[in-house]
Amino acid sequence: MTAYRIGIDTGGTFTDLVRFDITTGELFSLKVSSSPQEPLQAFIGSLKDSDVPLEGIEGLVHGTTVVTNALITRSGSKVGFICTTGYEDTAYIQRVNRQFLYDLTWDKPTPLLRSRRHCIGVNERVNAKGQVVVPLVLAEIDRVCREIEDGEFEALAVCFLFSYLNTDHERQLAAALRERFSDIPVSVSHEIAPIWREYERSSTVIADAFVKPLIQRYVLSLKAGLLDCGFTKPWSMMKSNGGLMDADAAALNPIQLAMSGPAGGAVASQRISQLLGLDNVVTIDVGGTSADVGLLLNGQITYTTEYEIEWGIPASIPLIDIKTIGAGGGSIAFINTGGFLQVGPQSAGSVPGPICYGCGGTSVTITDANLHLRRLNSAYFNGGKLRLNESLINAGLDDLAGRLDMTPTQLALAVVDIANENMANAIRMVSIEKGHDPRHFALLAFGGAGPLHGAAIAKKLGIPTVVVPPYPGGFCALGLLMGDLRVDKVWTQALRSDRVQPDEVVARFDQIASAAADELHQQGFPGEPTFEYSINMRYLGQNYEMEVAVPALRSGSGVNAASQLCAAYSAFHAKHHSMYQYTMDDAVIEMVSFKVIAIGPIAHPQISNATAAEGESSTVRDVIFGAEGPIPCTIIRRRSMPVNQPISGPMIVEEEGSTTVVEPGMVVTRNEYDILILEVNP
Amino acid sequence: MTATDAPPTGLKVDPVTLTVIDNYLATTCREMGIAMMRTAYSPMFNESLDFSCVMFDRFGRMISQAEFCPSQMGTIKFTVEWMIDELGADVYKPGDVIIMNDPYRGSGHIPEHTLLKAVFYEGAIVAFVANCAHLAEPGAKAPGGLSGDATDIFQEGLRLPPLWLQREGVPQEDIWKIIFANHRTPKTTHGDLMAMMGSLNVAERRITSLIDRYGMETYQDATEDLMTIAERRMREEIRAIPDGEYTFKDVIEDDGVSDHPYTVRVRVVVDDDQITCDFTGSSEQAEGPMNGTFAVTASAVYNALMHLTDPTIPRNEGVYRPIHTVAPPGTIVNCEFPAPLVGGNTELSPRITDVIFGALANAIPDRVPASLGGTSCCFLFGGEHPDDGEFYSHFHFEGIGWGGRPRKDGNSQIIVINGNCRNTPVEVFESRYPIRVESYRLLEDSGGPGLNRGGLGIERILTMQTDSITVSAIFNRMTVDPFGLHGGKPGMNSGIYVRFADTLDWRTFTDAFGTESPSKFANLTLRRGDQVKIVAPGGGGWGDPMQRPIERVKADLDEGFITPAAAESLYGVTASQVADGTWNVTPAAGRR
Repeated sequence: MTAYRIGIDTGGTFTDLVRFDITTGELFSLKVSSSPQEPLQAFIGSLKDSDVPLEGIEGLVHGTTVVTNALITRSGSKVGFICTTGYEDTAYIQRVNRQFLYDLTWDKPTPLLRSRRHCIGVNERVNAKGQVVVPLVLAEIDRVCREIEDGEFEALAVCFLFSYLNTDHERQLAAALRERFSDIPVSVSHEIAPIWREYERSSTVIADAFVKPLIQRYVLSLKAGLLDCGFTKPWSMMKSNGGLMDADAAALNPIQLAMSGPAGGAVASQRISQLLGLDNVVTIDVGGTSADVGLLLNGQITYTTEYEIEWGIPASIPLIDIKTIGAGGGSIAFINTGGFLQVGPQSAGSVPGPICYGCGGTSVTITDANLHLRRLNSAYFNGGKLRLNESLINAGLDDLAGRLDMTPTQLALAVVDIANENMANAIRMVSIEKGHDPRHFALLAFGGAGPLHGAAIAKKLGIPTVVVPPYPGGFCALGLLMGDLRVDKVWTQALRSDRVQPDEVVARFDQIASAAADELHQQGFPGEPTFEYSINMRYLGQNYEMEVAVPALRSGSGVNAASQLCAAYSAFHAKHHSMYQYTMDDAVIEMVSFKVIAIGPIAHPQISNATAAEGESSTVRDVIFGAEGPIPCTIIRRRSMPVNQPISGPMIVEEEGSTTVVEPGMVVTRNEYDILILEVNP
Repeated sequence: MTATDAPPTGLKVDPVTLTVIDNYLATTCREMGIAMMRTAYSPMFNESLDFSCVMFDRFGRMISQAEFCPSQMGTIKFTVEWMIDELGADVYKPGDVIIMNDPYRGSGHIPEHTLLKAVFYEGAIVAFVANCAHLAEPGAKAPGGLSGDATDIFQEGLRLPPLWLQREGVPQEDIWKIIFANHRTPKTTHGDLMAMMGSLNVAERRITSLIDRYGMETYQDATEDLMTIAERRMREEIRAIPDGEYTFKDVIEDDGVSDHPYTVRVRVVVDDDQITCDFTGSSEQAEGPMNGTFAVTASAVYNALMHLTDPTIPRNEGVYRPIHTVAPPGTIVNCEFPAPLVGGNTELSPRITDVIFGALANAIPDRVPASLGGTSCCFLFGGEHPDDGEFYSHFHFEGIGWGGRPRKDGNSQIIVINGNCRNTPVEVFESRYPIRVESYRLLEDSGGPGLNRGGLGIERILTMQTDSITVSAIFNRMTVDPFGLHGGKPGMNSGIYVRFADTLDWRTFTDAFGTESPSKFANLTLRRGDQVKIVAPGGGGWGDPMQRPIERVKADLDEGFITPAAAESLYGVTASQVADGTWNVTPAAGRR
């Protein structure tokens, strides 16, 4: 019998399914409309449409924007925030700075709590050395429980001061709460985010509690739906760090799903880059409303802990470092108060959508501009499922162009150019800001609109190569099938390079690695995990740290811990220099936290060999690439492209779900893995 | 009319490229800031972000800034102009870094150090990049630099004229040694100055790559155009303000040395597309450190007017061109050497924005908010750390309530208008300093009552965890209220109190230590177990509180932003609590 693995990626507009036939290696992808009101519908619907016999499904992985959307639209639960007495206002005080200067209409962000009354102080205190100053007594726990009872909360978030150093009080209270309120989910700060800075940790644990009832209902409903269809096997979800987690476990720690949607794209990007032997890659995933930009360094995904739900509301969990900006096909062009043309972040969404959808949209969008420039094929948008109406866009273009004293074509070019510049700026923020020169990177472009803009963005940044992977429209879903089970464990304790006992580091790595392995086994992983180790370091006195990978500092590993630590210090100096062009050679290095990642590998789909399909010839269309006006351009279906034959642009490569633009002067090659490689300056 | 007032001419660069370059420059300033935050040593930098990163063209005209401290970005214009003026335009070599902090050469006050670097392209200077940052320890008479009772500039720290900190990439050891020898925390100073230099490196790379991309001509034309656009838009904004003369005054309540108030008086003259803020009639310069230099005053004027005009105008030299400041020498708004002035930059600066807001409150009533809490609540401390015997020193400040606005309430707990700093997390604070923070909470009833309520202040209680610690303070709005507008009531005052170990009463520092001022003092010694209570003021209310819709009064009660007593006495309602802790509110008979 045929065995399949299925990846289902639910976005705001579309749900993508990728089916991987484990036996033959065959891949199949499918795009259906999402059903935000009734998420189960699109999920089960896509599964039914995929023609997979349920008993043939060996593995099912789900990526979803449900947590992201609940956070952004603030449609979460009534959370009780339980904290150290004196700190009840932490979520309201925040960090006291302003997002914008000179704007007296700006409002400080509101926490995810529904009311300041929902903050409950607990008489307990731990100091900066992790010592208990005020013990947590049973009578106090009782008092707090009674107060919580009166609050009728749907979820509870616990954050005590210095709990990243001493977890005792949080553990005591959490145990009592879980016993007393078995039907209310409890999120505890040292479990969710054992980091210092009480506001950031509080905000993170509140966010986790805020979405927990929702995600638990969501997972339950998907489980019930799958059960109805007769599917009983365990399935997993993709976390924000690109690792997989059993669905039940994910529901216990939902803030980990904040970037579940785009994470699949990052994972798939890593595999494609490995296939091509590319070390340094910028990824850009352009959809309908937003563009997600990420980075692969030395073939590795980059991570951050500085995610913000909105400005000033952090959720400090380790996640794939993806910068999202409001630039997608539906982004709206407008003239700002200063008379400048701007594009986005407002989007026409899928309803009413761009003007050319003919669903009542009246604002000029990037898609409209691309259609006017004839880079999009009105008869083959999403494989012809959606017919674009070119004549509708003229009035909107004329109006905007007239106000700027431009021709409609100049305007369309400007709209696309500004959008490209915005996306290029997002790339600068994730690359140059961190000391990486994009000219030494390749650009991997996917999502429905990524391949449409990739070439122009690369030109702006001096990036020499653009890569368009197979299935660019459903690439995130493909990535779901390329993830591994993963558990991260962190031990936070500051140790100084001049005083550290290497044995202590080894003992702690032993401890957290075995805890991580246990958790992986609990999620059903049968084998021996692989481990990655790292230490967060800074110069003693600095407040922000950099992660430095280290070898297995484990007992019995034969590694000389002392010399490996010295090597890690050198690596830290080098990393600091590459980012800021200086080092502090005589300074003591402080190791702040120690991390182990345990990975349970899973069989991944291989990208199959490409062949050129017969019988579809290319056509020619006049396309506008720049001020020189329309020029004849070859239009070809991707599957018809010859393999490993460089072709000079201009050329437009069309396929279901995406369109790749090859500008004049560029050269495109479809390689044996069905990957398109554009040389920007051949 | 001077040359810079000439009407703008046409632009040279197309609008798309201009947008791109403007965004690119602002992004670069932000990147400079991130580099500083991530590498600096003191919480003043890495948590509070008390610094600003700015770019200038080759003539020293500001071409870009980002969301840093407005007072620093206003003064750095003068700082950099002075440095280039004093040193000359052509003395810089690649890899040179110049340092300066002299307030009598355009710096805001001694703790704020400016680093300047010329950016070269094909052998010629194409830009200057600079950052200005508040070092926690400038070697003043009091740890933390803000001596509330200083009587001249020499008590306020080590004054550095423009000096080469680095020549062609080589650190100038002599200069570094002098600085280290004069600061109480040389390691921190070293780390922070290195962070500032790293940040300049980041900007240097970005500017050269911008020119690589667009060419020198487009880069130079674009920066010129952006200044023209900013000027043009600022003039349009000013033209929309009715012509006329508008006056207002407020006070700095005392100067820490003598116990009398100093008047800050402004006459705002709006003349077509230009605006002049004339401070003639303000008090003589203060004996204590509440003075501002001309740069501080002009910077505050820019800050006030930028808040009252379109916030999307590109922030560069052009914005400043139609704005003029008249500040008579020898007064509190333009002090003369060697007057002390360290508190002017934190305290006088918001008072200047206050009086300009007050003056224009009737001219543009739909834009002007009531007074913000108007003080940085500067609390300074230092000593030997009991854990390692090393000296530490810190400048602690608080957010305040902002004033009620024409259409909505003021924000609660936001840093004062002349800064854009963050608070220091308690977990960072306690890890660095031997002080425990017992509580940090919003203060109910601190927001000035109004149709649109002022934002709330906070109360913070600190317990000393060491046998000896030296403390100093500079506060304002302790005896003079943050004013309301259009019938709105004042916000609550600030306060700083001490409670000695094993005693019950909170006392003012005047009462406990005999200081001249309750709000400004220096070098007092506290002992283990002594407590300090800091109260940050609220913002003034806007409009008659009796007009505040009853459901908004209810919401304030439900959230605990006001007490039932205040609801009744100030908002004219009767309130009764219901079972779930929320409130039923009805108009009190004959009150509304």
